[in-house]
Amino acid sequence: MEKSKHKLLSFAYFLESSKFYNKIKKFVYDLIENDEYKYKRYFDIFMIFVILSSVTLLVMDVKRHIPHWLDDFDLYFVTTVFVVEYLLRMWVYSDIHKIIIDEYEESSYFDKEVSFYALFRKIVKNKWTYISSFSAIIDLIAILPSYRGLRVLRVFVLFRAFKMLRYTKSLTGFLYVLKNKKFELMTLLTLSTFFIFIAGIMLYVFEGDNENPNIHNLFDAFYWALITISTVGYGDIAPVTPEGRVVTMLIIFTGIGLISFVTSIIVSSFNERLGVLREDRVVQEVGKKKKLTVVCGYGLLGRLVVKGLEKEGVDFVIIDRNEEMVALAYNDGHHAICADATKGTIFEKLGIADRVSHVLCLTSDDIQNAFIAVNVKSLNSEVYVTARCSDQEIATKMEYAHVNQVIMPEEVAGMMGAVYAGEPVAFEVLLSIIEEKEKTHINEIAITEGSFLDNKMIGEVNFKRLRLILLGVFKRSEASKLGEFIFNPSDDFVLNAGDNLVCLGYSTAVANLKRKM
Amino acid sequence: MQIKKDIVLFGYGSFGRQLYKNLRSRGHKVKVVVGLDDYVEIESDSAVDITRINIKRNDDILALNVNAFESIFYCAMNKTANNLFLVLTLKSLYPQANVIANSNSNETTRKLKYAGATSVIDLYEATSRRIVNVLTKPAVSMALDEIVYKQNDLKMLEIELEENTFLEGKYVNEIRFRQMGIILIAIIDKELGYELVFTDHRINHKLDAGDILVIVAKKEDISKFQEMLKKG
Repeated sequence: MEKSKHKLLSFAYFLESSKFYNKIKKFVYDLIENDEYKYKRYFDIFMIFVILSSVTLLVMDVKRHIPHWLDDFDLYFVTTVFVVEYLLRMWVYSDIHKIIIDEYEESSYFDKEVSFYALFRKIVKNKWTYISSFSAIIDLIAILPSYRGLRVLRVFVLFRAFKMLRYTKSLTGFLYVLKNKKFELMTLLTLSTFFIFIAGIMLYVFEGDNENPNIHNLFDAFYWALITISTVGYGDIAPVTPEGRVVTMLIIFTGIGLISFVTSIIVSSFNERLGVLREDRVVQEVGKKKKLTVVCGYGLLGRLVVKGLEKEGVDFVIIDRNEEMVALAYNDGHHAICADATKGTIFEKLGIADRVSHVLCLTSDDIQNAFIAVNVKSLNSEVYVTARCSDQEIATKMEYAHVNQVIMPEEVAGMMGAVYAGEPVAFEVLLSIIEEKEKTHINEIAITEGSFLDNKMIGEVNFKRLRLILLGVFKRSEASKLGEFIFNPSDDFVLNAGDNLVCLGYSTAVANLKRKM
Repeated sequence: MQIKKDIVLFGYGSFGRQLYKNLRSRGHKVKVVVGLDDYVEIESDSAVDITRINIKRNDDILALNVNAFESIFYCAMNKTANNLFLVLTLKSLYPQANVIANSNSNETTRKLKYAGATSVIDLYEATSRRIVNVLTKPAVSMALDEIVYKQNDLKMLEIELEENTFLEGKYVNEIRFRQMGIILIAIIDKELGYELVFTDHRINHKLDAGDILVIVAKKEDISKFQEMLKKG
């Protein structure tokens, strides 16, 4: 006994540490459960194909018998696929070896013996939560038609169609809507059952005793009530007495009311859900990008920044709490999500751990910006965070929170405004450089290895002929990525690969130099 | 070399305060004017000259007794509508006045320009450029930080050439600005009209009195250069 326990435990630890086992499990999990995994799509398509073929066979089988090999295909191949899928899902649902380890560690902490029975119960309970889940039940029922003994089971093939819900996201969304409005729909269902019950009994009482040849029993009356209240009205059973007709008139009115009620509930629920569905799609689309910038706040500044980012070809997504702003961004053709950027959820969805490289906090509220910045930094301190701020005191606090760049629009504009007072010409130059109003822009050019600028002295390069004004050079160093800015380097300054030139000039002149390199 | 003008600053919100600070540090005399019921936040250690008027009344503005030819008006009220109204008022009272207004979008800029503002400062344009530069052109962004935004040795400024300087009659290409620690960025050559020309162009300007040079340099090199100009 003791020995087998020991064996079990060491096997559990072996699985825990086995790279191969974990890799395989992760792969299977990604393939069948992880929507963001790129190959999951192929798995989904394959499953949909299997399901459709099985349903097609069921339909074809009604009028004429299908060839033997197709029947075998249905019986063996489809069943195997479903059984394997069912077992795999159960497998990746949870880790048994973790339960064993936990149980063992807990027992050894309290100096207790591990009992096989308790362990077994825990494992079964854990897997039972999966087995009893809605989708698992559907999966199981979908396997049943393979048992050919009972003809009735064939109908369960249609449950295979239900299985398709799993592989198509929009359908899951619809189910979610129904689930969301469970209370309202249940109330309406109860109400309509009540009406059908009353109306059915009334008609039975009025016309059941041989007045109406079509009503033989209470079931007929209920059937009539349902057909009438749903406004379908086949007419196979119709009231013949004045009393019966009065009942009919009453339930027709209630029927119309109920139906419009149900419709409006589902429609409104869909509208509520629309934002989430759209958000899912945006998350999925930006999920393909390797480097993502998150812009929080689509106000005046946000819009300008987004325009700039778009021009430079940066991949970005906009988050705003205000639905109107999100709609605006959406209409401007950007990826936008209505969410609270002070919460972690949205950033986790966007992949704060690996994909997000920059977060820009640009709302008009300083405290909100600080809040977002701290939120992001606490999730991943590597992310470069820029925060807008209009108060020096708050700026200090942001710097304390290691916000990489705190920017104060009022300060920048105030500085520029003051330049105008004494030096209107310098102001104009500043404006055209900073806001890129003229054709002459400030630009950077990285020196590539082996290019004609590599190992050259500044004095040897004729910048005038290149139509560029050299402002300075960032000398590459081990310590920092960009290195130190050397303003107006002297003629004997040697350029090396990895250095960055900062120049003023037409973008064509810059492009020309880049081409030369 | 700078001309110290009298400044009338309308509005003392967060932008107004920054403007005030920068103007004062550059040695300008600033008169702050705010609306009758505008909330004004004043740091205890600064003695700001604040006048409260009803900005809707012409009489109140005339009563400020400003010499419109020698002054610059800054409209930095918090509300766009107020700024627009102020620009209209000032321009109708003093058609030649130098009026600078702050704006928060292209849309507002268009209206302010139409109303007659001499120049418009967009509150967000420069900031948004800066933010985008950090992402896409880190070297440019850091260079601009050094030259423009940070308080350090490096400065950009304009110099108007007076009579009889050593530059008089010389061509730009003849002068070794770079060796003097100076980078000449742009120039207004009176002979070519009053248009601002960046020096990355082919034109070799002949320098005369009245031309304006826009340079970037370290403070010490600037003073050396100015000394040389004075000597003639």
